[in-house]
Amino acid sequence: MPRFISPFALALIGAILFGDGVYIHAKAWLAQVLLERAFERSVATGETVKPWPWADTWPVARIEVKRIGASAIVLEGTSGQALAFGPGHVERTAAPGERGVAVYAAHRDTHFRFLRNVSVGDVIEITRRDGKHLLYRTDSSAVVRFDASGIDPATRDFEMVLSTCWPFDAVTSGPERYILHAVLIGANE
Amino acid sequence: MDTYDTVDSHEHPDEHLWLDRLIKVGLFLLAQSIAVLLVSFVALLVSFETSWSATTEQQASLLQPGDARSGTLLLKDDGATTEAIRLGTDVDITVSGPTLRTRVTQVFRNPTKNWVEATYVYPLASDGAVDTLKMVVGDRVIVGDIKERQQARIIYEQARRTGQKAALTEQERPNIFTNSVANIGPGETVLVQIEYQEPVHQSGNEYSLRVPLVVGPRYNPAPIVQSVDFRNDGSGWGATTSDPVPDRDRISPQVLDPAKNAPVNPTSITVHLNAGFALGEVESHHHSVKIESPDDRSRVITLSGGPVPADRDFELTWKPVADKAPSVGLFREHIGDADYLLAFVAPPTTEQATQKPLPREVVFVIDNSGSMGGTSIEQAKASLLYALGRLQPNDRFNVIRFDDTMDVLFPTSVPADAAHLGEATSFVGALQARGGTEMVPAMRAALTDRLGDTNMVRQIVFLTDGAIGNEQQLFETITAMRGRSRIFMVGIGSAPNTYLMTRAAELGRGAFTHIGSVEQVEGRMRGLFAKLENPAVTGLTARFSEAKADVTPAIIPDIYRDEPLVLAAKLDKLAGSLEIKGRVGDRPWSVTLPLQNAAPGKGLSKLWARRKIGDAEVARTLREMTPEDTDKTILALALDHQIVTRLTSLVAVDKTPDRPEGAPLRLSEMPINLPAGWDFEKVFGERQQLTPTQLRERRADAGQPAARRPAPVTSDAIRLPKTGTPAELKMIAGLIMIVLALILFVFNRRRTLLTDAA
Repeated sequence: MPRFISPFALALIGAILFGDGVYIHAKAWLAQVLLERAFERSVATGETVKPWPWADTWPVARIEVKRIGASAIVLEGTSGQALAFGPGHVERTAAPGERGVAVYAAHRDTHFRFLRNVSVGDVIEITRRDGKHLLYRTDSSAVVRFDASGIDPATRDFEMVLSTCWPFDAVTSGPERYILHAVLIGANE
Repeated sequence: MDTYDTVDSHEHPDEHLWLDRLIKVGLFLLAQSIAVLLVSFVALLVSFETSWSATTEQQASLLQPGDARSGTLLLKDDGATTEAIRLGTDVDITVSGPTLRTRVTQVFRNPTKNWVEATYVYPLASDGAVDTLKMVVGDRVIVGDIKERQQARIIYEQARRTGQKAALTEQERPNIFTNSVANIGPGETVLVQIEYQEPVHQSGNEYSLRVPLVVGPRYNPAPIVQSVDFRNDGSGWGATTSDPVPDRDRISPQVLDPAKNAPVNPTSITVHLNAGFALGEVESHHHSVKIESPDDRSRVITLSGGPVPADRDFELTWKPVADKAPSVGLFREHIGDADYLLAFVAPPTTEQATQKPLPREVVFVIDNSGSMGGTSIEQAKASLLYALGRLQPNDRFNVIRFDDTMDVLFPTSVPADAAHLGEATSFVGALQARGGTEMVPAMRAALTDRLGDTNMVRQIVFLTDGAIGNEQQLFETITAMRGRSRIFMVGIGSAPNTYLMTRAAELGRGAFTHIGSVEQVEGRMRGLFAKLENPAVTGLTARFSEAKADVTPAIIPDIYRDEPLVLAAKLDKLAGSLEIKGRVGDRPWSVTLPLQNAAPGKGLSKLWARRKIGDAEVARTLREMTPEDTDKTILALALDHQIVTRLTSLVAVDKTPDRPEGAPLRLSEMPINLPAGWDFEKVFGERQQLTPTQLRERRADAGQPAARRPAPVTSDAIRLPKTGTPAELKMIAGLIMIVLALILFVFNRRRTLLTDAA
């Protein structure tokens, strides 16, 4: 039945494409499960634990927004590979709880999808690998260009920035980034 | 359905049952997909709308006038008057040998009928040490004290509230300062004077000084003043454009326009140049100047056209009359119970020029781990291929690639002949980014010196993004195994681990080059090769024979051609000699400077302290010191040496009551050496093109909280990574194709059925 070949081929390609898209989400979700486990061990042992043996990165912190029930395990670095698995801690920025600005970036359609629901005044909780628990309060948001973030890396305050692509529902990537700025309001062990 | 059965059942009843089900399923799926698509499109539109409006509201609520326009001129909002504070600047520079002292006098004049506070943000040389603040009100001079930043702020705010005149000098960045003046009465003029100490720059035969004067980027040619953009300030939070630099040219007119009535910022400049040697050519690069020559060793340089708008840097260079600059300079200063020493040593460069470059052994290491995926690996490969092309026939080379595995191309370094180069080129060309990053074994392999041929310079060119967490381990490897190898780090990609790069290059006594795009590959690699091919002065050590010394920089970096070695030291006694040892190419080089020959210099202690503070900041960036320890070190140095840092400010408060209103401002009585030709009426009557950026004004009675401090974007501004996946695009495209396929399928099937039926 040659006339069925073309719809089947079309369906096959469609299924592959669709599957590829689903795979990205599945990978993002599955990685977070593995990362959660690695992070728990990391906090318990105080050592760097790789989530899977061939991983190029490792969990460094957990970001939570209790109000909307969002949580994600952050990885060191923001290479494309790392961002597929979780939010990345942008290189050269401070660690949370240290003087300076800690910048985290993640995909708008996976791990930082919840950023759209975070409003100014929300409390963001960060658990570091050493078990230290830090509270930040968001105080502003902005849409900026990726190379003109306006983030001051040498700030004297204790700040944090969560960044993702803007607009949230675009299907192609553009130069704009949505950034959510927060300041440290408290810490406990 | 029944019809189909009756028609077809006599032939293949089972198949038709199956077909029937398939069509049902197909139709179900089709309907489902259309529904899903519709729902998702609607969701897409709706969610886009809401999130957009939500953000705009957030932005609007957060945008405060002070934030949005801080660093720009704030006009009064009562509408009564729009005339702002006026400002004039006088820069007076005295060059004495190796150092220069700059006195910047800013004149704030309030032409309005209100009491105002003015804040002026201005650039200074980044290695300058600001140590003096004087405020001149009427005929009184109030000298500022150095205080911890918070404390100074409190003193200032208190004076501001109680109606006393006060001035505050704060450091925003090592090269950006703010002067605030509170309670300038109606029609009143206040002079604020700061002084700073700075070393003279030397490059080869030429000495130079640069005064960064508030600049538009068009006039900002040199990297020395990269961070002189105050406009890209704290407005990053809440405003739509936080960094105007990329499109500065486009927005400049808009910024200039509202400032047409804003104050002029005329600047006059005088340089008293006492070089300490017979002067040859003296040149101002961006301003026309008048040069007087009292004797052959000194010059007085003034602007020939009178005050100029502060719209470009002032740059002055001078050369000795002899062909060669003095190769050694030694200066001393005694402050407290310590002696401070500043030494300039120019390594013997002329001998190098005649010498044939040494053959080299170059080991290239390329990171092809997963984090290098995308353009990074392309940049790394292009860089490496360029480097291979630059090798000379008598050079030897090897290539190592690593991810979580490692390959060394040749068992030992091979001559750079056509066959070996061809092999290496195809090896590099075939590399793909994947796997983990095990950098230490690769570094160890690169550092293993199999040839041991001391007639060759051994260089390692390491191309990576440095995406590793065990930096310390790598540093330890380098420190333990570096031997005679030099490590040149090439940072690849938009956000390489700069900490790792700079530190590894420093420990490996090499250099760090950053390649951020494929276009940069050739230029940057050419620069790197200039360093690789010309033998540097290496292995530098400084030793004092008798005195106990605290030397900065602590680790003396290699010196490349035309650069002088500049050392500052704090000594317990000025005795014995300073011996500097090193190697120029393959030849040992040493120079001994007897300390008693040092000439007296000015402000050397401050320069020493400024460099120590710089060292501490570097150590903080490198995470060698905790922020707390760094702050402690900096605070101690700053208070000891009375200089403004990010932790200390100068504050001056006029304790005496304000002078009576209407009393004439008697400028002639001011104990400040205003240069000849300073005509206040003329200066303030001018309407020149100005930089609209720096003057901020705040009414004394305004109850607003202090605006966010301006935060100029520095060259190392954070670039945010790309954070969108093609997941949705793929899913939507996939769905559309499936739907199309189903429609086609159903259409075909129906046609088949109809044909069959017929």
